[in-house]
Amino acid sequence: MDATASSKFSDVDEYGFKRGDNFDYKAYSKFMDGYLKTLTRRRMKWEAILQQKDFDLSNIDAKLKRYIRKGIPGPYRPDVWMKISGAAAAQQLNPNLYKSLLELEQFNKEISDSISIDLPRTFPDNIYFDTKKDSLYNILIAYAHHNRDVGYCQGLNYIAGLLLIVTNDEEKSFWLLKHIVENIVPQYHSHNMANLLRDLAVFKELVIRRVPAVNRVVENMGLPYAVIATKWFICIFAEVLPVETVLRIWDCVFAEGYKIVFRAALAMFVTHKNAILECTDIAALANLFRDVMIQDSIVTDCHGFINAMFALRLKRSELESLRKLAALNKTTT
Amino acid sequence: MATTPRSGGAAGSGAAQRPNGTSQNKSCQFKLVLLGESAVGKSSLVLRFVKGQFHEYQESTIGAAFLTQTICIEDTVVKFEIWDTAGQERYHSLAPMYYRGAQAAIVVYDIQNQDSFQRAKTWVKELHKQASPNIVIALAGNKADLSNIRVVEFDEAKQYAEENGLLFMETSAKTGMNVNDIFLAIAKKLPKNDGANNQGTSIRPNGNETNRPTNNCCK
Repeated sequence: MDATASSKFSDVDEYGFKRGDNFDYKAYSKFMDGYLKTLTRRRMKWEAILQQKDFDLSNIDAKLKRYIRKGIPGPYRPDVWMKISGAAAAQQLNPNLYKSLLELEQFNKEISDSISIDLPRTFPDNIYFDTKKDSLYNILIAYAHHNRDVGYCQGLNYIAGLLLIVTNDEEKSFWLLKHIVENIVPQYHSHNMANLLRDLAVFKELVIRRVPAVNRVVENMGLPYAVIATKWFICIFAEVLPVETVLRIWDCVFAEGYKIVFRAALAMFVTHKNAILECTDIAALANLFRDVMIQDSIVTDCHGFINAMFALRLKRSELESLRKLAALNKTTT
Repeated sequence: MATTPRSGGAAGSGAAQRPNGTSQNKSCQFKLVLLGESAVGKSSLVLRFVKGQFHEYQESTIGAAFLTQTICIEDTVVKFEIWDTAGQERYHSLAPMYYRGAQAAIVVYDIQNQDSFQRAKTWVKELHKQASPNIVIALAGNKADLSNIRVVEFDEAKQYAEENGLLFMETSAKTGMNVNDIFLAIAKKLPKNDGANNQGTSIRPNGNETNRPTNNCCK
């Protein structure tokens, strides 16, 4: 309360999320002074390209990629995400899919129950989200019956919930969710989570290569990468990082694919290198990952964080060869 | 019970001995894992034990979480390294990573949910088969504040626990009932002062407890 009294910012963000008790209003205010100008400038630029006749959002050339990396303005996100990801094209091929799934005669009770249990605990601190719980149920139950291999995986509630907040559209959220689960990070959410385990191993290897000192600390203290990063990968940072930062990451994910997830995860380690190196025990280290670095000024400055992500050297070919190695060497993590 | 595991944040009750304090205190640290079906209250039990808080709608745990809490019994400072796991079946493949090398486990079920009790039994079996042979296992029948709508009878669970050599308590993360007690009971049962058998024996003298203010216990 005290902190907000002296701030021009509300204790609820523009998406309806209550800001945490430790939210640094001062740092945020300083960041927003500059970022608001950036947002206005980006909005004008985007307006200009979207007004161009037959501008094709599904053809991501260098210019469009640059625009996307600098942030898609909020109001344009639903449509731009649908087009750049290919979700809109997939929907066009199967326009009745969502409706027909919701019209199924019977839903699997076990799946329905596990989704229902998670509804009240999805974004309980969001002041708007209560009215969206029925929609969230629809998206998740429809998807679970569409993709029986995945069914319902905890964590999808956060992805679908955030998609719903941004798009305010059940059907678009369904198609974007489908795109993430099947095309961006396939086999993360399936019953054996095979690719999640593989990519956690890949990520660890990447940390060893880029910031070996950080890996030594993490390893010496005995904190498994699975504890640190499972939620990052499963939720693509939803319900992990500040919302605006997640959405900026998702802008790039929809345009460029899974590589962005690794960039973001690696940037978390690189930008917090010193803080990690300063940890003297596993409790401090776990606390840093769980509470501190998901809401500090580094990640709240979404613009700076995205820049840090793209300053990293990371090629798809390297990730692919690490994936092959990890598949050969399944026992690690 | 003479010992209290936490001071509710009230700082500095003077004479209490801290882990970095006087040398007559023994200190040991134990790895403890929480297992059980989704939404039975594993994270809530940890939150109650570590921070004294309760959230009606606790977010589901994706992957796992790690927390620590220190309690005191008699002249021994016991530090728990707590691994709180995700309950959904598919996260099961990650579980061995957490119970491997654990000296203690709390297997949680929801007294309103028969399936969760069956699931707890499966966890106990898996621990007996896969975990360290000396692991201390406690069975927690959580949500005991809702005992008027229970489906798992106290006596049934107690009998099962006795037959399988488990500690047993019904707990409520919501009211705090038996939460500290179950951790205390585990701490009492764990072998102390036996450096060779304990994974981490002593707490570093400067044990930088950024997580929580160290509890002043041993009152």
